Amino acid sequence: MITLAADTVPVSWSAIAPEIVLLGCACALLCIAVFMPRGLARVASAGVAAGGFVAAMVVSVTQYEDTARYAFDHTLRIDSFGQAGRLVVFSAGLLAVLVAWGSPWLRDRAVECFALLLTAAAGMSLLVVANSFVTVFVALELFSLCLYVLVALDVDDLGSLEGGLKYLIVGAVGAALLLYGSALVYGATGAFEFDRIAEAVRAGDNRDPLLLTGLGLILVGLGFKANAAPFHMWTPDAYQGAPTAVTTFMSAATKAVALVTTLRVLVVAFPEQSELWTTLLAALAIASFVVGNLAALRQTDVKRMLAYSTIGHTGFLFTAVAAKSVLGTQALVYYLVVYAATNIGAFGIVAVREREIGRPVQIDDFRGYAYRRPVLGVAMIVFMLSLAGIPPTAGFIGKLTIFSAAVDSDLTYLAVAGVVATMVALVYYLRVPFAMLDREARVPIVRNRTGMVPASLAVAVSALAVLVLFFIPGPLLDVAKTAGQSLLGG
Amino acid sequence: MTVALILIPLAAALIVAVLPLPRRSTEALALGAALAELALGVVALIRFDTTKGVQFATDRLWFGDLVSKADARFSFGISGLSLFMVLLTALGVFSAIATAAWIGRARPRAYFSLLLMLEGALVLLFTARDLVLFYTGWEAMMIPLYVLIGVWGGRERRRATFTFFVYTLVGSLLMLVGVAWVGITQGTFELDALQNAGITDAGPFFLFAAAFCIKAPIFPLHGWLPLTYRESPIEVTALLSGVISKAGAYGLLAWALPLFKPVAEDYQWWFAGLALAGLVYGSLVAFRAPDARGVIAYSSLGQMNLIVIGIFALNADGFTGATFQMVNHGVASLAAFLLIGLVELRTGTDLFRWLGGLANRRAALSTVFLFATMFALAVPGSSTFVSELYILLGAFRFEPWLGAAAATGIVLAAMYMLRWYSGIAHETEGERVDPATPDLRPYELGIAVPLVLVLLAMSAWPSGVMERIVS
Repeated sequence: MITLAADTVPVSWSAIAPEIVLLGCACALLCIAVFMPRGLARVASAGVAAGGFVAAMVVSVTQYEDTARYAFDHTLRIDSFGQAGRLVVFSAGLLAVLVAWGSPWLRDRAVECFALLLTAAAGMSLLVVANSFVTVFVALELFSLCLYVLVALDVDDLGSLEGGLKYLIVGAVGAALLLYGSALVYGATGAFEFDRIAEAVRAGDNRDPLLLTGLGLILVGLGFKANAAPFHMWTPDAYQGAPTAVTTFMSAATKAVALVTTLRVLVVAFPEQSELWTTLLAALAIASFVVGNLAALRQTDVKRMLAYSTIGHTGFLFTAVAAKSVLGTQALVYYLVVYAATNIGAFGIVAVREREIGRPVQIDDFRGYAYRRPVLGVAMIVFMLSLAGIPPTAGFIGKLTIFSAAVDSDLTYLAVAGVVATMVALVYYLRVPFAMLDREARVPIVRNRTGMVPASLAVAVSALAVLVLFFIPGPLLDVAKTAGQSLLGG
Repeated sequence: MTVALILIPLAAALIVAVLPLPRRSTEALALGAALAELALGVVALIRFDTTKGVQFATDRLWFGDLVSKADARFSFGISGLSLFMVLLTALGVFSAIATAAWIGRARPRAYFSLLLMLEGALVLLFTARDLVLFYTGWEAMMIPLYVLIGVWGGRERRRATFTFFVYTLVGSLLMLVGVAWVGITQGTFELDALQNAGITDAGPFFLFAAAFCIKAPIFPLHGWLPLTYRESPIEVTALLSGVISKAGAYGLLAWALPLFKPVAEDYQWWFAGLALAGLVYGSLVAFRAPDARGVIAYSSLGQMNLIVIGIFALNADGFTGATFQMVNHGVASLAAFLLIGLVELRTGTDLFRWLGGLANRRAALSTVFLFATMFALAVPGSSTFVSELYILLGAFRFEPWLGAAAATGIVLAAMYMLRWYSGIAHETEGERVDPATPDLRPYELGIAVPLVLVLLAMSAWPSGVMERIVS
């Protein structure tokens, strides 16, 4: 049965308050671009963007509650799981603004860049609470279109354009598959809303080929956004080509929203097919482990290496999703926060170094860097250890919780695959600390230090987060647990 | 007390790394911190009460409630075995820092900071009463090691680091899965609660045993050892052989066996048999090694396997011998490697064909070397003799012919250690030894003599150590 309730849908402004704040700020930026002189507009736009993210954060935090509610009929589900996803996106946005500030490519395009960033964040923020495939598609396209432009924003750089184009084409394919899958699921169940799909499936045939094909296509479409192998091919070029601040944002925020959405779609809409999609996710996870880590071994460009490492991490995140338990969701939320902080910090340091030397950063460009800039050097070592999941960094506790969730859900083989992947990963992660501490390297003094303070601040905040979340993980784990319970109940 | 023992080196590591001090002050600061740690360890030794079990305990919630599965806790405490492992660590790192300062390593701030970090991680690992915390110390000790070897090592340091790294990581990451498994199935990470868990699953036991046996190492998991011991800076080699290898044996004794007692009994023969093979193999290769480091490296392999024989005898004599031998071998191999370092400093080599005749005109050097040799070959009357006797006793109790076979290790030890000593000190003067090569300086005696004195003290009063260690 199809219910078209257009004239009875109650409008709930508070449900989309963060999006309204962000889009409002984006509009304000466009006005600034028109009415203010260039130099002033640059400063003002950064201020408005940062302020917008802070305001959106404040709004989300004040709205934060453990009980879930639907809004706009059933198209949105405001729960603490989605709210946690929103907070990751906004924090990533704020830190990305700091990393971007002072970049040479930003000089002439600051206003556009920040307006697009705010709009992308609004799309992401909508996606993490979306409870209907229509909303999912709209939100996904909203932030994807902004990101295509952001990746190609440095139009003087061929790599940036190439990355943007590849991302656009591959991203469009992914979105199309997702849309097609949604249409098939609608055909099979007559519903777009996740909870109604599940109801319809329970009432009808849960082995309907139309439904299963739709589910497969949806998973593939989300796999593109989550950088899962074999749908990852855009990742290295887009991450490497994009201006580093944009990569920073993408690696943290896109990843988080893609995973949050994947989990929500699968456990809410398709609980009856969980055996099927657990197998699919496990296969994708293992493929991501293999492809991401093996390819990363051969990279010399730091951004490209981190891009492949991102693919490898999708394996861990999919493991948490495949656990489909509160423990798994808890692990996922914790890991996403830590992963966001780690990646923002690591790319932030790359951004700083890039500006110092004026060209893409190779691993060799970090030779002896820790002796010249001890704080950034130590921070980078912390980030690499966290990515590898080695104490005393929060990445370790993230990995431990994911392994616990996997063992708990009888997915021990995925935990073992993750262990093997980590072993390979350590080979390339540790190259960076080795280069940083090279005792014989002579690092020339760099004089171009303008505008480094905000980026260094973002790095310092991330490093602190990664360390503090190791020693005091309790509060975040509690938040993650309530988020898991708000989604799965229990 | 325990927390202070962990925090002193870590805080010192941070201070040394951050303060832009000149070389001399950095060295003094690092040495002072190591000395303070050692002094605090001695205070713990004096205040240790043999009638109680775990002492100086601290216990606070770390994180937990992984959906009411298990809590990880900041839980530290010092058992008799931990106490001596901590003391060994403090002594080892102190000597290592003193040696490094004397040799004059490049980039002193980073180097000393890493050594102190290593010390903090080791103390954490030896005093942790919570499995997650123990694992934290275990992994945290690897990172400074990789960097110390990979950045300050010899010519083939990259290959050495890579080999070391692959071996040890395979072990420790497998252990991580084991840690998660224990947490999920047992509902706790606490050692006291797990003490009598009596888990009968073999799979998880091997996840833990793999990590410990690679680290120790047990034959045939020693592939990383020769290259790593040869290419590391000498004081790091000394720590690897003297202290860090003991972390593997400690893991078996303090964690793997209590948790998985029934499984260990099932596989007792496998471990004892492999360790016996390792003892004989290591001792034989030590006898043929062309370099001084190689002899001690392989002898260390043999000795660690002897300790494992003691552990897997699974009886009281075996445990007593193994734990006491961990301390004895720790100090003796620290002394042996650091002395090789002092020879390398003079001659630039540790190959026997370029050495020899150092005893001539160098009384102090040859005396200290002789002491180190005597302890390593377990001359009757020495503390090593006592501990090896207990291990053999334990092995006899378990299976007479195992004890008999293990006794060959002691004969072989005499062979290779005497070859080691005479290859350096006796025979004709080697190519790299000339009359101007100096005897040990007072500072160098300050490094070596305390180690010898500790060994002598333990020989004079072995029961003083043993009654505390098994309490």
